[in-house]
Amino acid sequence: MVETYQMVICGVGGQGILTISDIITIAAQKKGLNVLGSEVHGMAQKGGSVITNLKIGKNLNSPTIPIGTSKMLVGLEQNESLRYIKYLQPGGTVITSETVLFPITWKKDKEAADKARENIKGNLGKFDATIYFIDAEGLANQTGLALTQNIVLLGALSQVEGFPITDNELREALKIRVPPRFLEVNLKAFDLGIRAVKT
Amino acid sequence: MAKLEEIIANEENRVLCLGNEAIARGAIEAGVQVFAAYPGTPSSEISMAMIAAAPKLGFYAEWSTNEKVAMETAFAASISGVRAMTACKHVGLNVAADAFYSFLYMGCKGGFVTVVGDDPHCFSSQNEQDSRWLGVSAQFPVIEPSSPQEAKEYVKRAFDVSEKFEMPMLLRSTTRVSHARTDVQFNKFESNFREGEYEKTNRFACLPALARANHPKLLERMEKIKEWLPTSGFSTIEGPDSHTEFGIITSGISYAYVKDALKTLKKELPILKLGMVAPLDEQTILEFAKDKENIIFIEEVDPYLEDRICALFIQNGVIPKIHGKSSEITKRYHELNARLVAEALVKVVGGSIVPVIEIEKSVEETKDFVPFRPPLFCAGCQHRAAFWELSKVVRKNKGVFASDIGCYSLDPWVTDTILCMGGGIGMANGFSKVIKDKPIFAYIGDSTFFHTGMPALANAVYNKANINILVLDNRMTAMTGFQPNPTEEIDIAEVAKSLGVEYVVVFDPYDFENGKKVFEDALKHEGPTVIIMRKICANEDWRRKRRKGEKIEVFHIDPEICIACGTCIVQYQCPAIRWSLDTNSKGKKYSIIDPTMCTGCSVCSQICPVGAISKVDE
Repeated sequence: MVETYQMVICGVGGQGILTISDIITIAAQKKGLNVLGSEVHGMAQKGGSVITNLKIGKNLNSPTIPIGTSKMLVGLEQNESLRYIKYLQPGGTVITSETVLFPITWKKDKEAADKARENIKGNLGKFDATIYFIDAEGLANQTGLALTQNIVLLGALSQVEGFPITDNELREALKIRVPPRFLEVNLKAFDLGIRAVKT
Repeated sequence: MAKLEEIIANEENRVLCLGNEAIARGAIEAGVQVFAAYPGTPSSEISMAMIAAAPKLGFYAEWSTNEKVAMETAFAASISGVRAMTACKHVGLNVAADAFYSFLYMGCKGGFVTVVGDDPHCFSSQNEQDSRWLGVSAQFPVIEPSSPQEAKEYVKRAFDVSEKFEMPMLLRSTTRVSHARTDVQFNKFESNFREGEYEKTNRFACLPALARANHPKLLERMEKIKEWLPTSGFSTIEGPDSHTEFGIITSGISYAYVKDALKTLKKELPILKLGMVAPLDEQTILEFAKDKENIIFIEEVDPYLEDRICALFIQNGVIPKIHGKSSEITKRYHELNARLVAEALVKVVGGSIVPVIEIEKSVEETKDFVPFRPPLFCAGCQHRAAFWELSKVVRKNKGVFASDIGCYSLDPWVTDTILCMGGGIGMANGFSKVIKDKPIFAYIGDSTFFHTGMPALANAVYNKANINILVLDNRMTAMTGFQPNPTEEIDIAEVAKSLGVEYVVVFDPYDFENGKKVFEDALKHEGPTVIIMRKICANEDWRRKRRKGEKIEVFHIDPEICIACGTCIVQYQCPAIRWSLDTNSKGKKYSIIDPTMCTGCSVCSQICPVGAISKVDE
């Protein structure tokens, strides 16, 4: 019996969360696995907090992942990683971008971002998890396309032990999902993500 | 989302798609010929797929101005003998209620399916309405799929059932079915489109004498469906059949939660899954329950199955112990998940689940560091500019502001009330009759104006309401995914004038100087005024430009001129502007604009009190 791999992907609306969820589902399907994800549309795209659930395996039933049962959390923004880390099962893995996006509620406090940056590692560390912090913004900028932060994290994800899809399988899916003119930068971002975890 | 080519390909294939796209595919496989809908989350992707597919496959599909018109359109097609469908969100079904409460009496001819998307947990809605009740009150047969694959099959079957019994069918989906993404088996289809023909009959005129005769016929049709149900395959029983202590009755997405919950608990229990929830499959339900000591109901939001089936039990002298909403094993609000259902089952059948106390403790310790991140107007949104201008002319405590359903519901400054589609103008009319010392405002979008705003505007003119109506015309139905609507072809200013509004002004919401004058003028005018703020949705315009590779002229802030007063960040709240991490030469923080988010709207440069903001090139 194939064990179900449960993961959540989170961030802020517009960061490309659905894109990486798409790429993973395409790769999983090509591999002959079933996939079941759950998305929230509508209001969520307006810069709000966004979470996507994804299950990979066989004979999947419910599309959502309850608290404490996800093997993996991919966070495109640090505060969102902290918001949703509760979905992780004890001992699970987090891949989070170090990116901080300003929520409206910080606007009045000029120091809020500094304080959050100071505290975020300690706060995430309160949860039982292996956490990889990735400078997705810096790495994406190296490719020349700042919007590839999500793909950097996808590269990093491919290296995590137990993740059921290989880097080559994800590359093939990337080719299907990403428009041809952006493929090269995306593959570059993907490789930078792989290296970020290996070093 | 699945590609259009995949949705329309006449092939046996497993396709990754949303539940809503699977529903559209089901309709295509069933040979639907007429589709009409008004968008609404979580139903919109059904219509988007159908409307994109229609010209390719040669059927008719339209964006209607509202759900009622959509349903009437589909009904007329059905009674002309062709297969027809409509889709809406739960509250949209209420708009169409006037139509279906009556056409159900008359039945249909060509298969007629309405898909309703309920939204437990209010992800994008104003309430958690459970549309299954309409099945009881209107005598609407209701089917409820538990997964995208089943949704596709159910839609297809619904057309056959509809024709077999000459009954329109309601398929109830929920957010977690509609917005689940999974691999769905698509099947080949035959496009045997029929010629529409209206056979002369008095059956389809709901005059009182005919309606009186039609009511018992409706009940007879429902009775026939009930008799057929046990052999229909819509009801399924699984699990150990010798088990007499417990039995679970469930339907829709709750079935998926039950399956996962039992897996977690490592238990096997008999489950009766009802694919059709109105009328009820009484025979199968009674058969299932008769030797069980305990019946457990697992369903989201309302105790629909529980209340109705308990009545059935009493009528038939079957009295098991009941567990469900009445014994509070699940709540009457918000959505369920596998864990909540496992917790509910533990209360009845025993067993244990891994506690999450440690996680909850860590959540408690860190919760103050997790910032609230509400949805808000996009960077460059013209609605933000419009409300800013309005809030400068009329302060919140100096007026009454009735908003409506759309992106503008996100206004952070002036809004007092939000009720329902088109409700703003109607409420403003009411306010104007009792509040005499303050200006009354209603605001409404272009799509909502055509949806239900026009009758309310005619009412305001006729009843001489002294109100100011702001039409936020961004050229599309933006909130639900940028669908087109009549504003493309019908000028709202001309509509307002022709309805007798004397004061009608159109201006660009980025043009602050003019805007201020317009508001001040409008306030002096007696009777309804219509102020149209017209500009294409900034977010969509920006995305289109980026896709085409067009240059976007972004703005920047000079750190040495910026005095960190917060006008652009704290007051105007543009999401593209934030505080700097470093400091300027005076050792002070300053505002910076994120060039990847800036749409170049220029508003921040207009409101900056020290002129620190300018175009990057200048």
